[in-house]
Order: sequence, then C-alpha cells, then structure tokens
Amino acid sequence: MASVDVTQPARRPFSGRRVHLGDVLLQGVAGLAAAGASALVLLIAWKVVDGARPSISKYGISFVWHVVWNPVVGREAYGAGSFLFGTVITSFFALLLATPLAIGIALFLSELAPNWIKAPVTALVEMLAAVPSVVIGLWGILVLGPALRSHIETWLHSGLGWIPLFGAPSAAGASLFTAIVVLAIMILPIVSSISRELFLGVPHELKEGALALGTTRWEMVRGVVFPYARGGIAAALILGLGRAMGEAIAVTQVIGGGVFIHWSLFSQGDTLASKIAAEYQGATSNLDIASLIYLGVILLALSLLANLTAQWIVRSVARQHGVTRGGHA
Amino acid sequence: MPKLGTSIRITSALAAVALIAIAAAGAANAKPARQATTINGAGSSLVAPALAIWGPAYAKATGVQVNYSSVGSGAGIAAITAKTVDFGASDAPLNPDQASACGDCVQIPWALSATVPTYNIPGLHSGQLKLDGPTLAKIFLGQITKWNDPAIAALNKGTSLPDLAITTAHRSDGSGDTYAFTDYLSHVSSEWASKVGNATAVNWPVGVGGKGNSGVAGVIASTPGSIGYISVAYVKQNKLDWTRMKNAAGNYVLASAPDIESAAQTVTSVPADNKMSIVDPPKSAKFKNAWPLSTFTYIIVHTSTPQAQELRKFVFWALTPKSQHLINNSFLVFAPIPKVVLVAAEKTLNKVHS
Repeated sequence: MASVDVTQPARRPFSGRRVHLGDVLLQGVAGLAAAGASALVLLIAWKVVDGARPSISKYGISFVWHVVWNPVVGREAYGAGSFLFGTVITSFFALLLATPLAIGIALFLSELAPNWIKAPVTALVEMLAAVPSVVIGLWGILVLGPALRSHIETWLHSGLGWIPLFGAPSAAGASLFTAIVVLAIMILPIVSSISRELFLGVPHELKEGALALGTTRWEMVRGVVFPYARGGIAAALILGLGRAMGEAIAVTQVIGGGVFIHWSLFSQGDTLASKIAAEYQGATSNLDIASLIYLGVILLALSLLANLTAQWIVRSVARQHGVTRGGHA
Repeated sequence: MPKLGTSIRITSALAAVALIAIAAAGAANAKPARQATTINGAGSSLVAPALAIWGPAYAKATGVQVNYSSVGSGAGIAAITAKTVDFGASDAPLNPDQASACGDCVQIPWALSATVPTYNIPGLHSGQLKLDGPTLAKIFLGQITKWNDPAIAALNKGTSLPDLAITTAHRSDGSGDTYAFTDYLSHVSSEWASKVGNATAVNWPVGVGGKGNSGVAGVIASTPGSIGYISVAYVKQNKLDWTRMKNAAGNYVLASAPDIESAAQTVTSVPADNKMSIVDPPKSAKFKNAWPLSTFTYIIVHTSTPQAQELRKFVFWALTPKSQHLINNSFLVFAPIPKVVLVAAEKTLNKVHS
C-alpha cells in the first residue's frame, strides 16, 4: 500500500541506546507482521498466475488486448481487451469526477466550516465509506441509473453530443457512466478524509503567517495548504484509483455488460473486476476459469502499477518538501 | 499528529481486511460438519423456492435438517466437485468438462420448472403480448428493434403496440435460466444456434446484463420497452408481466403448471446420464398446451458419499407425488415430473452408496 505520510519519519529513535528485551520483541513482532504481509502478497500473486496458466499458455500476451469473450463450450474464445478498456475508462473518469468534490469537502471541513458543522459532516462523509458496495449497486440499478438516464445523460447528449464520449443515452440506465458515478461516490470518502487530515496537518504558523501577510483565504489555501499537502493528495488519489479499479460487485450491478469497445460513456461495458464477479461462480469449463483468473492477473498488475506510481510520487514530492521546508525553517 | 492518525487508521483497516480475508478463506475451506442429521446443498436459484418448502417439511417429517444455499447452478457444481457440500443443484446438465472434474457424480432430475419471457411495455398487461420462437430469437439477436415491428404486430392483431425501442435483458452470471432460454432459441432459430449457441453463459449479441433473477427484474422494471427471461416462480411471486408463447402446436400458452407438465411428456426414454432437453415440444395434439421453455432441474451427488443413506432418503422423499405436489401451487410453479423420468431418477439414486 502507498504511504500517505509526507513528513520525514524520525530516524532510528533508539539508536545509541542499549539493547532492551522490549525493543527486541517489538522488532521481532513488527518484522514478522511485515514479512507475513509480504509473503501473503507473493503467495496470492503466485496462485493467481498459476491458476491462469492454461489461458496464458493458450493465448499468450495477445489476450490482454483481444476483444472477445465467448464461454460457450465448443466455440470458446477469450480476451481482456474490452474489460481492460472498461476498467481504465471507468476508474479514470470516476477519479476525475471525485477529485474536485473530495478536495472541496476536505477544504470545507478543515479550513472553512464552523466548528459545530465539522464533526457531524465529517462523520457522515466517513459513513459513506461504510455503505456496503452491494447496497450502493442496488441503489445504482434501481434509482441512480434510471435518474441519470432520463436527466443527466439526455442533457449531456443534447448539449455536448458532438463529443463522442456523450453518445445516445443508455436504454436501461445501466452504463459505463452509471458505473463511473457509483465509483466516484465510493472513492469520495477515501480521498476526502485523507485530504482533510493532510490539510489539518499543515502547520498553523504557515497558515497564520500567510494570512498575516495579507493573503485572502483562497490565496492562503493555494499558496500554503495545497503545496504542503500535494504529495499526500496525489497518494490519496491513487488509493482511490486502486479502489475504483478493484471494485467488483457494485460495478457488476450497474454496468450492463457486453464485449465491445464504444467511446460513448453511455454505452454498456464491463470491467476486469466486474467480469470476474459476474462469471467466476458460474464458469463451466477449465479454460473459462483460467481466463477469468488471467483477468485477475491483469488487474493485479494494474493495481501494482498504481501503487508503485503512488509511492514514487510521494517520495519525490517529499524530497522536494524537505528542501523547501528547510528553507522555511 | 494527524498524519500519524491517518496511517494508523489505514493500517488498522488493512489489518481488518486481512483478518476478514483469512476468516473467509477458512470458511471456504471448512468442510461442513458431518452430522448425521444435516444435509448441506448449494446451487440453482431456480430450484431454491422448492427447497425452501421441502426443507422445513422434511425436517418436520424426519428430523433431518436440509440446508440449501442459492448460489447459482455453476457455483453449485463447483461446490459438489470440491465436496464442500453434500449435494449440488443445477438447471443445466453437467457438461463433459464438469462431469470429468466431478468424478463419480451423477445428476438426478428432481423438479420440473420453466423460464419465462418477461416484459415492460407501458399499457400492456401480463399475457397481452404474444410472441413465437423465431420472433423472440430475432429480438435477442438485435434484428427486431421496435415493438411495433411488423413481425410482432402480425402475432398481436388487435393489440396496439407502441413505437418504442426494444431493450433486451439477460443474466450476466452463469445460470440455468440462460441455459434453458438459449436451448430454446437454438431449437427455433438456426441463426441463433450458429451465431450464439447454448450454454449457462453466452456471448450476447445485444442487451443489458443483470446479476441474478433480481438483477434482470431490476433492469426490466426500470426500462420501458424491455424484455428478458426470469424463473417462473420468481415471475409469479413478484407479479411481473409475462408473454404468451406460441408453441409448435400453434397455441399461445402461459406457463401454468399443467403447461409445463405437458412439455415434460415429450420424454419417452431417459438416457443413462439423465440429460434431457424438453424445450420446444414437437407439433402434436398431445402437446397442444405445452410451455416451450420448460426445463428439468437436477440434484448432483457423488455416487460414493458418506452421506449416501441420508441423501437417498431425502431425494426419494422429494420424488414422491406428495412432495412434488407441495411445490406445485399457485405461486411455486413446479410441475410434477413424469413417470418415466421418476423411474430413471430412482434407478440412478439406488447407485448412490457410502
């Protein structure tokens, strides 16, 4: 997992002290926990690749971009192209939709809101993260999907229909767009609560110093709070992206399914995770199962990529910070 | 230190996730307790309402508890293959891959039901829409796209059909309903048979996927102009609107229990593996009211199982006319299985030993 901590950790707090039983125990237990988690990840990765082997050896790497999925025995053919497309499109646009909202919420709750509003609203926003995804999915198919179709999709299509992204409104309210909105709702509390804590962590001296220099509140936020929390926000967004890419159940319920690539957000589709969730239990042949697991391999690689990116961003921003903060001090 | 707070929160969330994952993995691996007084099963959602009636009735009669999880036919087959349950239930017979993976498994037909085309057309009530097989196939192939298409109008003289786009809905998960539905379409449309085929999950040319009967029902309810297929028990319990289908004899029928029972009369001999297809019964006076989308649903057990005695007793009980009648009332539309199938089922059941 990516760390969202942008402060430099204190180095070797116990160095120079004499060896103590408690320290050894702490080191041992903590080390074991870390080793266990790493072993678990490696074991999962190995198991997944192993399970996908029949499909990997049959289709090779071209599986990743082929747009085909036919589980009927006798005419089986599998490829991940449309699901990879669906995953990338839905998680990217969900992030695009959620980011300004989440940062707005975080700013409001950390800098702008009167005290009596902060506590209840913070609790409510975090509660959003506790709503089970299957409940969000049901609400998505019964309430949100039809509402988006008859209001937002028709409105976007009539206004911006010349952009390929806003094609003809979906017939059933099940579409990539509904999945994007559902995913945005699901990553909103993650990004906003992490951002809020980051904003709260900006030293008061800096904020008050800026205000004392005569900046407006917006200038203070832009000039002090954002630069200070930049790296952390980026990492929070990547965490949200990981959540969006991996979400299965809610997406399965609202995305409509289908093996094709359409540029319109209002068409149906599938993501890697939703395809696995929909078909894994009912898979009928060994190649079918192996191909579904191959989708899992691709998803795992995508998540790994997102996490590595997050760590890289945090590290490079933190390094930059070290310099600027040295200047401040 | 608010940042420390965040990392602690994330760490504890991760720890909780890991614990849950470990617990779930443990639960998945745990074998059911082999108590003599409990039988555990999993599978088909179509047969689930029958087991909801049979379970308590059997417990009352014998003291033996029957636990059933409605997880879908495919998952039921996976569970019995892995021996995590005592029996699996599936609406689709085992395919060769599944049969070889399952080893000494046998499938026994134990209930008779159907899948039903269900629609949402404003102004048209249940039974007012009439369709035949070839038209239904063209709708699901995406070749008929409007409700006032001449092909549909020809079957519905005197009914005013709206100028409304058709949206088809299907199961996104593997399902016995899909098996029966695509089996029927493959029988009535050679184009369907060659382009799409027959399985528990297929590559749909058009349409919206929904997860489970409730997912398909949700899509239909929220989409004017939609048509899908749903288990007959679910349709009747939830009072959805469904079509009259034209059978091979030329009559429009409504999927009542006698209509389904009549379709099962097409079976004159049962193959050794009990695999039977009863969709689209042939043109004959005998089948004049046969519902063309009927299907047997199967219980799958290992021939050699420590639970053999309890399983044999339970399935024999389920096959008795009295038990078959229990699940054949106005809401649970299962039809009694015909004599010839009953004999074959009991013969297979007698092979089960411990």
